[in-house]
Amino acid sequence: MAFIKTVAVRAIPLALLIACGGASNKHETVLTFSGSALGAEGTLVARQLKRFMQLNPGIRVELQRTPDDASQRHQLYVQWLNARVGNPSILQLDVVWTPEFAAAGWVLPLDKFAPAKSEFFPATIAANTWAGKLYALPWFADVGLLYRRTDLVPREPQTLEELVADAQRAKAQRGGPRYGLVSQGARYEGLITGFVEYLGAFGGRIIDDTGEVVVNRPEAVRALEFMRDELYKWNVVPLDVLTWHEEEARFAFQNANAVFMRNWPYAVGAMSDTTQSKVIGKFAVSPMPKSATAANGHSTAALGGAQLAINAYTEFPDAAYKLIAYLTAPEQMLERAQAVGQYPTRSRLYDDPRLRGAINIPLESARRAIESATPRPVTPIYNELSEILQIEVSRALVRQSEPKQALDEAAARINALIERTGMRKLMRGTL
Amino acid sequence: MRKISRLGAEAKLGWALVAPALGVIALIAIFPLGWTFWESLHLHELRMPWLGKPFIGLANYIEIAKDPRFWAALGHTAFFTVVSISLELVIGLFLALAMNRVFRGRGFVRAAVLVPWAIPTVVAALLWRFIFESQGGILNAMLVNVGLLKEPMVWFIETKTAWVPVILADVWKTTPFVALLLLAGLQNIDLSLYEAAAVDGANAWWQLRHITLPLLKPAILVTLIFRTLDGFRVFDLIYVLTGGGPGTSTEPVALYTFNALLQNLRFGYGSALSVVIFAITFALALFYVRGLGVRLGGEE
Repeated sequence: MAFIKTVAVRAIPLALLIACGGASNKHETVLTFSGSALGAEGTLVARQLKRFMQLNPGIRVELQRTPDDASQRHQLYVQWLNARVGNPSILQLDVVWTPEFAAAGWVLPLDKFAPAKSEFFPATIAANTWAGKLYALPWFADVGLLYRRTDLVPREPQTLEELVADAQRAKAQRGGPRYGLVSQGARYEGLITGFVEYLGAFGGRIIDDTGEVVVNRPEAVRALEFMRDELYKWNVVPLDVLTWHEEEARFAFQNANAVFMRNWPYAVGAMSDTTQSKVIGKFAVSPMPKSATAANGHSTAALGGAQLAINAYTEFPDAAYKLIAYLTAPEQMLERAQAVGQYPTRSRLYDDPRLRGAINIPLESARRAIESATPRPVTPIYNELSEILQIEVSRALVRQSEPKQALDEAAARINALIERTGMRKLMRGTL
Repeated sequence: MRKISRLGAEAKLGWALVAPALGVIALIAIFPLGWTFWESLHLHELRMPWLGKPFIGLANYIEIAKDPRFWAALGHTAFFTVVSISLELVIGLFLALAMNRVFRGRGFVRAAVLVPWAIPTVVAALLWRFIFESQGGILNAMLVNVGLLKEPMVWFIETKTAWVPVILADVWKTTPFVALLLLAGLQNIDLSLYEAAAVDGANAWWQLRHITLPLLKPAILVTLIFRTLDGFRVFDLIYVLTGGGPGTSTEPVALYTFNALLQNLRFGYGSALSVVIFAITFALALFYVRGLGVRLGGEE
């Protein structure tokens, strides 16, 4: 299977290249951009690529359609790059892939092009930095948000403890919603984005700056205990959440069945839609608050979004960078926000009046959320690390194990993973 | 046995004629199997090219043997297979006996029984998921209405209750298949045996035990072999219904392998798991054919 796939993967783009080469000028620079050709996103990308070509007559850019589904796109990229295929020349990476692709040598460091790192939100740069080098430029950002019913809880809770009290109070009112807080609790990546927010609120981390696994430290255990108490002790999170993804939570909140919801910005659109929402004009967003009991806890939002990177096997890295710089320039980001509502990663744009109304929440809320954003562990083995955490956190939440025991197990397995994959050597050699 | 050399030209022609078929079998069955085995002796992580692709002998197999998650998955698979097949055999036998009787509309009933079997597994699994959903699920609504439950129950967060929809869905979907295989067996039984037994004063229970079941044995064994092998490779049903959860407490070996191979892209380790599954199913098939004397086709 692997062999056949490799042959196919190698042969098809090669054949395409030969076919293209025959038709066009040999010295022409041809870039391929990986993206979607569907809907408003497709129109926007086509328009921006066309403008780029007008500004750079020597470069031709072709759109290579790749799946919108992130895990499918990831699998395709990995197969292509294992076969050293130079297309697409510009890769569209999910926020947790950059270190993996960087350590594998599949994307080029961007430092020699001297990008203006300081113009981007620091978290978005940190997520794309591996072994001290920047490997991708943040294209747009996605952040975890706390949605709140303003008619039930007028004042934004400043701590997690206030949030729980507010939820209990609003729930207990006559005719109050059935649920206090709804979120994503099924065993999948969404659970870890939520866990990262609670971890930050209690001052915990998964891996510290020296690469040591600290996910079973007391502050992390307290974070997981808090998540569990919300379910069983304070009854603010319904048990149903343990099987929920984003959409189930959104349905509950937009049908006015919940006081609070943890979700991504996309949900704002549906909740402002008169045909399906019962909470129009009755909600606001903010980052998840910190815990009042933790000395170094801080309000934390999980960071998502897309980055652009240069395929290490492309013939035209310089031209590829030109395109990345163009697409991540302020004008194009602003246009992207206006066309498809995605949040810019450049902090200065949040002072620009043209952004107001382009994105679906007040600019101040968006800026605060992105400023409190924390990347998930920036490591090449994130995928398997996350799988371990998904299983252990989920076990603790369904009461198959105690929080401390679950996190000890997670830490032991993450350490074994680090050993098995040679991460320590890799970090020592490159740091 | 005559020796091939004596047959001379005729044998050569024979070999020439089957050569294309043998070639195809080699290409689609033996070659991939051999390749997978070869792959399983290497450390090959598609996501971690810095590790290279060194030959590591049986290290992947040792990792499997030491992995509690694998043994747990094997246990879940065996549990699922035994429970669901037992239920399917008993219910399928009842259905087959009923369908074997002559009554009006028998053809319609036989066709109607097959409907669950005709629905793609993923679709069926989604339907069962909706039925067991905690909020708005039909089952919870019914149980609350008749007073058996005080409030809706979340089926998928406890191991014991998470197995219920899984087994129910499999039994619902596969019993018709079992019933049809058994029905075919029933139709081969000579009716005069029953007449003779009735003349001798044997009641229905005696007839079932001493005529129907012994003569149905070949059909039952064929059913068992098909269903055991299917049960051992169960994937889509559990993937959709529980995703292997809560935790990993309903995860079967096929789902564990899928995770290693296609989610984590651990080609070496995943290949070793595939080889292990292949060896287990092969051993089961051998046990049925040799040990229990199941005849697949051919004369008795």
